Parts: sequence; structure tokens; C-alpha cells
Amino acid sequence: MTAVTDRPRVRATRSVAQAVSAAPRRRVSPERIAAGLTLVALGVLVCVALARIDISVPNMIASWANAQHFFTRVGTVRFPELPVLLQQTALTVGLVLLGTLLAAVLSVPIAWLAAANTSPGRGWIAAARFVSVLTRAVPDVVLAMVFVLLFTIGPLPGILAIGIHSIGMISKLFADAIEQIDEGPRTAIRATGGNRVQQFTAGVLPQVLPSWVATVLHRNDINLRGSVILGFVGIVGLGREMSFAFKSLDYSLGIGYAIVIFALCVLMEIVSSAVRATMLGRTSRATTGRPVHFRSPDEALRRPWTAARVRTTAWSWVAVLVVVGSVIVCDIAWGDLATVWGRIGPVAAQFWPPSFGSYGTPVMLGALFDTVAIALAATLLAVVVSVVIGSFAARNVAPNRGVRGGARLLLVVVRGVPETILAVVLIVITGLGAQAGTLALAFGGIGLLGKLVADSLEEVDSGPERALTATGATRFQRYAGATVPQGVRAMLGHTFYLVDTNIRAATILGVVGGGGIGYYLLNAAQGSNYGTVTAIVLMILVAVLVVEGIAMWMRRVFR
Amino acid sequence: MTRDDPAVEITALTKRFGDTTALRDVSLTVQTGEVVVLLGLSGSGKSTLLRHVDALEHPTGGTVRVAGTSVSELSGRPLRRLRQQVGFVFQQFELVPSLTVLENVLTGALATLRGPRLGLWSYPRRLRHRALGHLDRVGLLDRAYQRADTLSGGQQQRVAIARALMQDPSVLLADEPVASLDPESSAQVMTLIREIAADQGLTVLCSLHQVDLALSWADRIVGLRHGEVVLDTRTEGLSKAEVMEIYGQVATTTDEFAAVEALRSVTDPATTGTLA
Repeated sequence: MTAVTDRPRVRATRSVAQAVSAAPRRRVSPERIAAGLTLVALGVLVCVALARIDISVPNMIASWANAQHFFTRVGTVRFPELPVLLQQTALTVGLVLLGTLLAAVLSVPIAWLAAANTSPGRGWIAAARFVSVLTRAVPDVVLAMVFVLLFTIGPLPGILAIGIHSIGMISKLFADAIEQIDEGPRTAIRATGGNRVQQFTAGVLPQVLPSWVATVLHRNDINLRGSVILGFVGIVGLGREMSFAFKSLDYSLGIGYAIVIFALCVLMEIVSSAVRATMLGRTSRATTGRPVHFRSPDEALRRPWTAARVRTTAWSWVAVLVVVGSVIVCDIAWGDLATVWGRIGPVAAQFWPPSFGSYGTPVMLGALFDTVAIALAATLLAVVVSVVIGSFAARNVAPNRGVRGGARLLLVVVRGVPETILAVVLIVITGLGAQAGTLALAFGGIGLLGKLVADSLEEVDSGPERALTATGATRFQRYAGATVPQGVRAMLGHTFYLVDTNIRAATILGVVGGGGIGYYLLNAAQGSNYGTVTAIVLMILVAVLVVEGIAMWMRRVFR
Repeated sequence: MTRDDPAVEITALTKRFGDTTALRDVSLTVQTGEVVVLLGLSGSGKSTLLRHVDALEHPTGGTVRVAGTSVSELSGRPLRRLRQQVGFVFQQFELVPSLTVLENVLTGALATLRGPRLGLWSYPRRLRHRALGHLDRVGLLDRAYQRADTLSGGQQQRVAIARALMQDPSVLLADEPVASLDPESSAQVMTLIREIAADQGLTVLCSLHQVDLALSWADRIVGLRHGEVVLDTRTEGLSKAEVMEIYGQVATTTDEFAAVEALRSVTDPATTGTLA
């Protein structure tokens, strides 16, 4: 008996030892090493950036004295008079909605060309992707500056700036959605003899529509927050009123506008998530799943007014009315669209050739480095805080519903604060400079990244989590051993996305005084040194493309 | 194209995907009104063959003619006209999940319409009326305004048949139409196809992998193995031994293999007389 049990045991120990030595070593490709080194270099760069921006505890304490001083200056918050407030609010919302809608419409053909499964050819894919990257890389503020020169002042330059800049993100997400469809229904429509356009409208569009609607609503929220900055370059709306108030040192009115904008952004966020939920939720499916008895095909020709149909129709009319209302509120000078063509040539000539003007190359490169440093430092701060808040906002990590709900609400509120407003307030407190910009960007980044972290943690396969729970692991061990390892790739991707948006956002914050290249951009535009504007835009473009390239490379290597 | 042309005429069809040969020198003629089953294991080339008839694949060699027209030479509008004539029922139904049942049926008429269509109102009333008639025919009129993805698999396949009928086809292709269905729905769907074929004089080319179902359902069976035709026989008046031969050629499950082996031992030359 003992001999029988002993022998396998001896053999077992030997085979474990053999197995350990015989186990294949994981091979690390040179490309992986290079990517890892790049990540390390980026880490060092972030630390340098943090040091350069000089975010430190003594600094913050010193700022606090400023803050007290500021708030005594503000005194009581003063809101604008109601008619002005309502008119400006309607104008802002209408302008943003129309801009987003314009981008959505223009994005459809671009997405169709960019998606590998619908595009007519490789050349078209490359061209469409280029348009997408280019429109994403040029900040809407820059577009607004140009359009303000081309058009009479009014909402039109704002609508066009938002419309064109948003194409980048919307068309990319539209194309991604097209590439993820089930090809079966489309093949079936091809098999019935449908042409390419019919295959698209009947086989592809119904499949991607829910995701497209979500994308457009999401972008609309972003655009509303972004519209504040457009006010600083002369686009009408709440943003411009706020910038006037701050420029005339009427802080109590400025803060009043800031509160209104903040409330509007949170409200829009709530409305759009409600629209998403009703349009894409389970309820709509359940109510369209009941049979209705018909005695004959003739009787069935009249579609019955079920509750679902009434609701859909009512909401469609509301949507139409909102768009029509937006057009009316904006009071667009349509004539401008006809006369603008003659002005394009002379205006374009002012923007060429690019030059650094009186600033000189070292100053400009330093400013660009400042902008990149702000973006990187803000990303680091945002990542650290987002991982904590985002984890508590994930259903499978939070200890109970209350904690999850609280974390989600916190993220909504944080997301609702337009970065520009935060920056403007922080600048008043800490003074002009990179510190205010970094903190404002980090704050905004938490709202975005926190949500993405929570979503990607909730999307992980629950099997390994259950398996770890079954082995007796604690909640935290389960989180570290099963949840995070599965979600880390998605989180890395989101982080790069944040770096990408932060570089553009850092530029924009410079416009309001948050440090970096944006300050020079606004100066150049106000001083009519349009050659310098072009040069700065090209520099931003290169920086954004480099980051995008690194991000794409990382995503491929760490697949 | 003349009246005497066979409904489908495949000549020396070869199809290669990279290094693998899906079809090797396949020739097959189907007369108008015939109900033919393509029998074979998965990977034997049944689907590829069917897809060639609707010009969803381009042949590496050989020709496919439908009603006398070589399909691989067509493009643009004539190609879409041809596809309209040929109905296709898929294993996975391939309805657009978020559209209503009625709109899914209406997509079968797209080849007769110009321009994009989205929404029920974008189809003429005449077509909507016809589509409802087809839905009534497959027993799903009550479901007309439901989303397609709220239906069961068997119901979805019947909607897909109604969509094919909307094309007013002369040939109906069905690629494993019941492979994803339970036995009861399978029987419903197969009976429906047979009835409609008889009503409208349709030529049917259907791929299956169940020998017994094929024997009881088809006029004629064509067996495929590794992309080659290994069997072509009418189902009427087959002797037991011939049926065994079919199982031997294209048996698909281990159960069927076992049955063949067991029967082989019984149908030994010595005992054949008593069994037959």
C-alpha cells in the first residue's frame, strides 16, 4: 500500500522540478521591448512635466490665500437678468445642437468611405481616415477664429467650427460601428438584388443606428462644454457673455454665468442619458414584441397605434421641433453662405506663409513643450484619481449599490464642469500659468476617464471573478487578480485617448490663460498675425499626430 | 434564354480559396420545378455551391447558368435582376434584427425599386400589401409590426421565406435552412418550403446534412464530399441497399455511421434476400 502511494509522490516532485526547468521562457519581441522603453520614457517625461509645472503643496496653500481674496472680491454671485439669460441659453444650446447635427450628417458619407466593409476601395479608406484625423487635430477654437473672419459675427461661425471639428470623432466612431456589424443581413439584402446604397440603408444603418445616436449625444455633451471657449474668440452665447464679464473684472457676474453654464451642462448630460436609455433600452424592445391580431392582410395595412408607436412618433416630433427651434433661435445669416466664397481667397492669403513672427523658434518650442507637459501631467493626475473613483463606480467592484451610485453621480457632476470655466476660475485664483491649466484638465479628465474605467471594468468576463471567489479570495484579491488584469488593456487604450484629447484641450486652455502655446495662439489671432496662427496650428497638428501614432503603435504591440 | 433552358446549369465549376479547393469540377443540372437536396458534411462545399448560383461568389473555373444566363458575366443592374429571380434562405435567417418583420419582408422587393429605403413608409402601399399577403401565407401576419429579433428561430426563418417570396423568384436556394432549429420548427419550415414550391412551381435547391430528412423530402439527392459530386439519384423507388449506399457515401453523424455499419453486417450478400 505505502509503496504504491510513495512512488507517484517521488515521481511527482521530480516532474515538477523538470517541468519548471523545461517550461518555455516567455519570449519578448524587440518591438515589445522598444514599446516598453517608450512607456518608461513617457513616464520620466511626465515626472519632468510635473516638476516643470511646479504643482506642490506649498504652492496650493499659497493659492488658497488667493482664493479667499478672490471670493471676497466676488462678494455675492450675481445672475444676468432673466430675458437675457433665457435668450443666451437658447442660443448656446441651439448653436451647439446644430453644429453637432451638421457634423453627424457630414460624418455619414465619411464613415461609409472609411469603414473597411463598406468602402469602395483602399484609397477611399485612406482619404476618409485622413479627413477624420485632420478635423480632429485642428481645435475648434482655431476654426472659429478663421470663420469669424469669413462670416459676419453671429452663430454661423460657431456652428461651422463645431460641425467641422466634430466630424473627426463622430466619423471615426461611426466607421468603427459599421465595421462591427453582423454581415449576414447585409448579404441577405445583396442576395435579394439590392444595390450598394440599398444594402447600406436596409442592412447596415438599422444595425448601427443605436450606436450612432449614442455617439452623437455624447459628442453633443462635449460640444456644449466646449462652446464656452468659443465665446473667448467671439462666438455668441453664454461663453461670450462670461468672457466679457471676466474681462471687465465683474467677477460676481462672471461666476453667475459660470454657474449657469455648469448647470446647463449637467442638465444636458442628464437629458442625453435619458434619451439614450429610452431609445436603446430594453423597454422599447419589450413593447414592440407583442403580436396584434389581424383578420386579413388588408386590415393589417393600417399599422395599429400601439403605445410604442405613439411614443416613438411623439419623440420624433419633439426631435424635429427642437431642431427647427434651434434654427429659428440661431437666426442664421444664410446669405453669408453665398457671399463667403469671394472672401476665402484674401483670408487664406493672410494665413500663408506660416511664420513665428517676433516670437522666435525657442520661445515657440518651449511653449509647445509646456502644452505637452500640461497634457501629460494632467493625464497622470487624472489616471490616478480615475482608477480609484472608476473602480468604485463599477458594478462588479463596488461593495454595494449605494457606493456605485455615489461614484457614478460624482463622475457625472465632475464631467459636467466645463474645463474652461474651471480654468478661468483657477486662473483668477492661482494666477496665469500652467498650474491652473493642469488642474483644470486633470479635473475634466477624471470625469471622462473615470466613466471609461468603470465601463471597461464592468465589461470584463465575470467567470474568472467567480472562480476566484470560489477559491476563497477576498474582495480586494478578486479585484486585483481577476477584474483589473482583464480590464487593463482597455484602460491603457483609454489613457492614450485621454493624452490625445488633453493635448488639444491644453492648447485651448492656453487661450484663456492656462499656459502653453494657446496663449500665443490667441495673441497672434488678436494681433492679426495670421501667419503665426498657421505656424502654431501646424505645430499642434504635428504634436497630435505624433501622440496618435505612438498610441496606435502601443495598442498594436500590447494587443 | 429559351423556355427549354434548365433552371440551373452548373458546368465544371471549380472554386479555390487560397490553397484550399472548395469545389472541384462540379457539374449539375436542375430542371424547372425540381426539388433537389445537396447532401453532405459541413465543409463539403454545399454552401459555396449555393452561393455561386446567386453570384455571391465568383467561380475560379467553370460556369453557372440560371435560366440560360451565365451569372458570373453579369454586373450592375442585370446582376441585381438575376439575384431578384433567385431567392436565398440562410441557415442563420439573416433578418435585420432591429427592423419590423414587415420591413424585413419588404427588403425582398428592393431590386424592383430605385434608391435607398428606410422605414415602412418608404415602400409603396402596393408592395406593403403584397408583403402582408406573404406574411399571411407563412402564418405570421399577427407579427407584422414586431421587431424581427423578438421572434423565435422558426418564426424568423418563416419571415426569411416570406422575404424570398417577395422577390417573386423562379429559383429558391436554401442553405441548411433548419440546422439552427428545433425538430418541430424544422418540420414546419421544411413543409412550408415544399408547399410553396408546389404552389408556385419553384425550382428548389436546398442543402442539408440529415440523410433521412433529405430522403423523405427531396425529389432528387446530390451528394457532395470534399467539393466533389459523389452521388446523384432520384429518391423515388430506392431500394434499401441503395439507401444504405447513400448513408455510406454521405453519412454525417457517428450515429448514422454506426447504423450503416450495423446494417451492412445484416445486409451481407447471404442474408440480403430475406431483408429485401
